[in-house]
Amino acid sequence: MTQQEILGEFSRVLRDLLLNDSIALTMGTRREGIPGWDSFNYINFIVAVETEFGVKFKIADVESFANVGEIVIKLEDMLTGNTRSSLNSPRSVRIYRDKD
Amino acid sequence: MLFNSTEFLFAFLPIVLATFYLLGGVSRVAAIRWLILASLLFYAWWRPVNVLIIVPSMAINFAFARTLLQLDLLNASRILSKVVLMLGILFNVMFLGVFKYLDFLFSSINDAFGANLPLQHIILPLGISFITFQKIAFLVDVQAGRIKSFTLQDYCTFVLFFPQLVAGPIVHYREMMPQFHAIDCRFDKTNVSVGITLLLFGLFKKVVLADKLAPLVTPIYDHAAAGGRISFLMAWMAAVGFTLQVYFDFSGYTDMALGLARLFGIRLPPNFDSPLRASSIIDFWLRWHMTLTRFLTAYIYNPMVLSLTRRRLATGKHGFSARNPAFGAFVSLLMTPTIITMFISGLWHGAGYGFVVWGVLHGLYITINHGWRIAAMRWWPNRQSYERIMKPAGLALTFISVAATMVFFRAPTITSALDLVKGLIGLNGITLPEAAFQHLGSLAGTLHELGVVAELWSIHDFIKTLMWILFLMIIALACPNTLEILCPYEPALGVRPKLGKPVISRMSFAEWSPSFGWAIAVSAIAATAILSIGGPSEFLYWNF
Repeated sequence: MTQQEILGEFSRVLRDLLLNDSIALTMGTRREGIPGWDSFNYINFIVAVETEFGVKFKIADVESFANVGEIVIKLEDMLTGNTRSSLNSPRSVRIYRDKD
Repeated sequence: MLFNSTEFLFAFLPIVLATFYLLGGVSRVAAIRWLILASLLFYAWWRPVNVLIIVPSMAINFAFARTLLQLDLLNASRILSKVVLMLGILFNVMFLGVFKYLDFLFSSINDAFGANLPLQHIILPLGISFITFQKIAFLVDVQAGRIKSFTLQDYCTFVLFFPQLVAGPIVHYREMMPQFHAIDCRFDKTNVSVGITLLLFGLFKKVVLADKLAPLVTPIYDHAAAGGRISFLMAWMAAVGFTLQVYFDFSGYTDMALGLARLFGIRLPPNFDSPLRASSIIDFWLRWHMTLTRFLTAYIYNPMVLSLTRRRLATGKHGFSARNPAFGAFVSLLMTPTIITMFISGLWHGAGYGFVVWGVLHGLYITINHGWRIAAMRWWPNRQSYERIMKPAGLALTFISVAATMVFFRAPTITSALDLVKGLIGLNGITLPEAAFQHLGSLAGTLHELGVVAELWSIHDFIKTLMWILFLMIIALACPNTLEILCPYEPALGVRPKLGKPVISRMSFAEWSPSFGWAIAVSAIAATAILSIGGPSEFLYWNF
């Protein structure tokens, strides 16, 4: 998966979380730049990404991401197995998607 | 030794600072060790026995941290290091518990079950709540691999650095230690002028603004504690007055801490960003005691939400999203962790029911704020009209809500706090000072008909309190804050002007610079503040 594809998925997840269809994340996006992306929605986003990609972040990583790009890079690492973190088989469950 | 005492400002600080610079010219290590020693002396000044409490606790924490570091180096199992971390956290929580909460626990049990457990009346070691939080954060960071190496000297500097030892800002090792490693421990004119300016602004806020309002607000709380009825206006004066008092007291303390640290070439993180200008309660907590919010979010709230959300999804249930908001998810994933976190925040402030109620109320406020945000996104999609109306309305509502909770924070007993709340919502009627009616002429009759009653209440105090509240509201809401004024010089960690944006729009004269005009202004502030020093005037947050 390319970084652009990951960013696309991230944007889709966040649009659902915040009910804001104008969100388009880039590698440099920071939380402060997106209205309503507070700590609660940040954690929600992280768990949604975990479910989407079948990975599990360490809490220390969750606390240290400074921008979206760092999450993307960490995720790429995890998907290619560049880390000690546990890697489950990806599930394509779209928990955060509309029911319809 | 209080920051606002003459012995601190005119003896301790000049001696410590001069020696630090002199030693710095010879050896950095000597200067840093001197700083550690001076910090211990600062801590011991209050009650020398405190040193016998803090030093062993530091030694034990150091041992825990070293063990965690070794386990990481040996690539030991995560479970083992988690167990060590848990033991370390348990030790710190128990340590705080014995000193701060044992009597509260005993008296609660006595109240609830009519038991007769003997109260221990332990004197709280200075700043223990702040120090404990910082030590816990350190252990968590070591276990998480965010701190890769540290020496005993590093650890002592981090824990004991006197400008932030007693009442914060609550700092992270990773933001402090690179600075301590980089400073050259010598006189630097920018650091000294910015540091002294911050120190004097803070001193002014504390001894002139907060301390002048305090004697007008305290009698209302005393009156309530003595069983007196507090009418509507009086109750609001107590609530708003104390909100302003605690703001100028604690932000004044913080400015002094930032200034003191800067004299040594160190920048502390920001703690206040004009919180009374917040347009929502969530916004308020991002601007009020920011380093506490940061600690609670990173070490309590986020891990709790993470674990609850993962667990919920594992059972096949939906998570929470604005697109698909389910009430069950809202309660279990948002409301519960928010209220638990704010309950802990309340309890952290003090061992008393008032603090707990204060914390839980803020938890409820934040929950309502989240709910409102989601509702507004659905039913009020026009962002422009939302902002136009909700910015001012939100500011007023946030201010009123925050002020109302302060009654629980300040009132000595829960009974008197509840009486004040009755006053706030008008259940105790509306009164005015007796003398006011004589000056109002024909209006007095109308007021009487509306149910406004005359009360034995000094008109002089009434007007003075009102004027002070008005004056401080203007400063808090309309004037640039200390960090904005000094922004070009990075007065707090990361507080810098945004590219291409003026820090203080329309008031560029209010931006500090090393100029003759500012020298006169700061000297005037210093003179007023120094002449106001005197009398017992503890910082409110030094008791926590």
